[in-house]
Amino acid sequence: MKRSPAPLVITDPARRRAGRLLLSAAAVGAAPALMLNSARAQIKRGDTLTVGIWGGAQERITREHCAKPLEDKYGVKINFVLGGTPDRRARAYAERGRPSFDVLYLNIFESRQAVKDGVTQAPTAAVPQFANLYDIARVGGYGVAFNPVTVVYDKEVITRPMTSWADFWRPDVKGRIAWPSYPGAQGTAALLMTAKVFGGSETNVDVAFRKIAELKPFAAIQSSQDQLFGMFDQRVAAASAEFGSFTRSYAESRNPRIVVASPAEGQAIAANFACITVGTRNQALAEEWINLHLSPACQKAYAEQIYYSPTVRNVNLPADLRAKLIIGDDQVKKLIDFDWDHVIRMQPQWTQRFAREIAG
Amino acid sequence: MTGAQASAGTAVPGVAAAASWEPTRGRPLLSLSPLVLWLAAGFALPMAVVALLSLQPAGEVFAPIGLDLTAAHFQQILGDGYYLGILGRTLLLALGVTTACVLLGYPVAAWLAAVPGRWKSVAIAVVLVPLLTNVVVRSLGVMLLLAPGGAVSGLLSLVGLGDVRLLFTWFAVGVALTQVFLPFMIMALYDGLQGQDRRLLEAANGLGAGPTRAFLGVTLPLTLPALRGGIVVVFLLSSTAYVSATLLGGKKVVVSGMLVMQEAMALLNYPFAAALAMVMLACSVLATLVVNLSVGRLTPWLALRPPGLPRGSRRPALSAPAWRVADRLGPWLYRGLLALALGLLLFPMVLVVVASFNDVPQATVAGFRGFTWRWYEMVLDNERYLQALWISVQLAGATVLIALLLTVPAAFALARQRLWRPELVVALLMLPLALPGIAKAVGMLKLLQWFNQIPPFLGLLLVHVVMVAPFMLAMLRASVGALDRSLEEASQGLGGRPATTWWRVILPQLAPGLVAAGVIGFLISFGEVTVTAFLVTAQTQTLPVRIYAEATFSLENTVNAVSTLIIAATVLTLALLGRFVRLDHAWRR
Repeated sequence: MKRSPAPLVITDPARRRAGRLLLSAAAVGAAPALMLNSARAQIKRGDTLTVGIWGGAQERITREHCAKPLEDKYGVKINFVLGGTPDRRARAYAERGRPSFDVLYLNIFESRQAVKDGVTQAPTAAVPQFANLYDIARVGGYGVAFNPVTVVYDKEVITRPMTSWADFWRPDVKGRIAWPSYPGAQGTAALLMTAKVFGGSETNVDVAFRKIAELKPFAAIQSSQDQLFGMFDQRVAAASAEFGSFTRSYAESRNPRIVVASPAEGQAIAANFACITVGTRNQALAEEWINLHLSPACQKAYAEQIYYSPTVRNVNLPADLRAKLIIGDDQVKKLIDFDWDHVIRMQPQWTQRFAREIAG
Repeated sequence: MTGAQASAGTAVPGVAAAASWEPTRGRPLLSLSPLVLWLAAGFALPMAVVALLSLQPAGEVFAPIGLDLTAAHFQQILGDGYYLGILGRTLLLALGVTTACVLLGYPVAAWLAAVPGRWKSVAIAVVLVPLLTNVVVRSLGVMLLLAPGGAVSGLLSLVGLGDVRLLFTWFAVGVALTQVFLPFMIMALYDGLQGQDRRLLEAANGLGAGPTRAFLGVTLPLTLPALRGGIVVVFLLSSTAYVSATLLGGKKVVVSGMLVMQEAMALLNYPFAAALAMVMLACSVLATLVVNLSVGRLTPWLALRPPGLPRGSRRPALSAPAWRVADRLGPWLYRGLLALALGLLLFPMVLVVVASFNDVPQATVAGFRGFTWRWYEMVLDNERYLQALWISVQLAGATVLIALLLTVPAAFALARQRLWRPELVVALLMLPLALPGIAKAVGMLKLLQWFNQIPPFLGLLLVHVVMVAPFMLAMLRASVGALDRSLEEASQGLGGRPATTWWRVILPQLAPGLVAAGVIGFLISFGEVTVTAFLVTAQTQTLPVRIYAEATFSLENTVNAVSTLIIAATVLTLALLGRFVRLDHAWRR
């Protein structure tokens, strides 16, 4: 049965208008996808949607802005399976074609790979808010949050502001760095930005490995934000590459010494993607879930609560908040993107190299 | 059964009655089969998958498991100094941690055995605290201890050692692992020390042995079977652990478990991860065998062999004045180690409780910023924490019950019946402990489509029993071995039926061992995340998986509130338990 493409839960009149406009515009592009999904069932009372997502604030915000509206409107049930990206991904891969998840959340490179591997679907305009997504958030699933990696440092120890990725090689910084471990979002960003700053690229990371090795010995190597914050607390390290969002919350709530820098070369993109599994039996409901995640209200809640930058254009935020986020086409374009296919292909090799030449 | 006879002549003089009984013929296979069958169902299949995977050529992640086998991964691992170095260092770390646990475990176990009955439950709870707190928070505790300007480095500079870098070193990882695994050693030794016949110490004393000599000559040999259980468990756990190493090693410390995790989860290179896991497994099995054989050799009376110790070794190696000095120092060493161990165990608890009232969002903050009830409100307002807690309690409870039903007969078979190569049998039964958790998870992942057909709770139960049973077996084996069989014979001689003997004689003697094994089993099941995280559904989400899921995003202070509540609940539960079950062998006094 073919599902009506009309948006089902848009309540805000302005958005409804925008939605209609966008839908008519998107209808042509979406036609193949809709035909492909012609067998998809209508949302029925009692349906259950299984969503694999992180815990904490992520669960709280999506429960309020996605789960509750859907449950109220259709009498469906939303199942949350909480966990980290690696287990979620490994499980989705093991269940390819017969998924127990309908929607799962992945990072930028994992989501693109999952589409290629036939585990999750490419995004389509069947999700009305697709039309408002920035281009970079339309590959490998639906980008739901930008969370770029940037330079962060302790201004009491490093008194001269850090304004470039190359500042890690300044004599007053060297020896005080907690370098992010590879693989991992932060480690990948730091490696690729180093390559970029020193004339290399993702296809030429040799220079990056050589330059990073020059920074040895490190004060530490950090493998998670919590660990890094501990290192900042204990004054074990004074500079690193980390998600700006969390570091900002950390700096504001407990360590005012820490600065989230805006390096001249830009911040390295990192983003969360909502992905619909191939083989889901709740296609329509999954699309509606994602549409709600991309709704201005949900995106605003993310921005206010955890400094995640919106991935859709139609979100209005107060000026003081905008100043802390990546907002608008110009700023989004400045996020440094990479050839993730290549990055993933090289991951095993780079992991070996990082372990032998940088860590340890 | 009664064919067993007292043969005091061949036993080491003064050894508890249990030691002088010959193994019975019985039917060990019958007693072992429930456990073996369960392990076959829940472990053999994933294990076989891992073994097969390790022989698959490297390929894409969806490649089906084929019979085109290759030893390439093993060649790569064994031919590369990098991997061998990591494996070797990991084993050395495990050895160090096990040694530290033995040194710190004895004083605490002795203290625990001596604590008066009504305080016993609280004391046990204190010992178990590290198992009740989240690993991230626990690691923070160790970080605070070792941080520049922290307690330990302050002490070191007082001694004149100056600025020693402690954090993000092997030492830091060792401290963290010791802290986590010490309770296993203590609980294993506790029952051994509880069951010790105090008259033996009095006899040693009467014969002129001071405390140190009595410990080395009487207590240590008699607790060797219990120590064996503790050593095996701690060694296996610390050689496969990776979370603490990641958190406290700051990647400057690389252990084998981290490599498996990285290959399997980040790179999806299952064959190589499986091969690494198999090499680790082989090392673990070897280590288990060595420990079991050495203890077997040091406790000849258990197998009714004449003492096979080298000539002269039964004589005190020290001169009389040296013994006097040792006897003087011994009690001080005991107190020092006890204080160190209790400090190490309790420090994270203090930290967790303080942090649970700290008015900052991040769970890992070092400084106190203000008092708040906020985190408790968030936990208690959210019925999902309570649901997850209830599922965890049900799961752990059912797991322990089933594991007891499986391991108690097996422990009797191992301790009392004549078995073909018992040490090999034990090493095989310990396999689930020796295979790194993440490799188990990989094995399960390959079977996930089948596994999904089982009702989720039963599936989790199957896996949890597999993970818990080896621990409980290791502990119960020593407890059963220490039972006083003359009491059983007396009961039978007085016309007691087997059921009566079991209920009135064996069970009361075994109760402390059952409680120790049960509590440890409960906590392992209750805290398991590595494998469970891959298997939970929305309806069977356990509390640790929920906490872990939150930690993967950003660890909030609610985790400390949850930990504090769990610690409080454990103390209360154990206190309640202590009212109904004797946690000591009072009649031995």
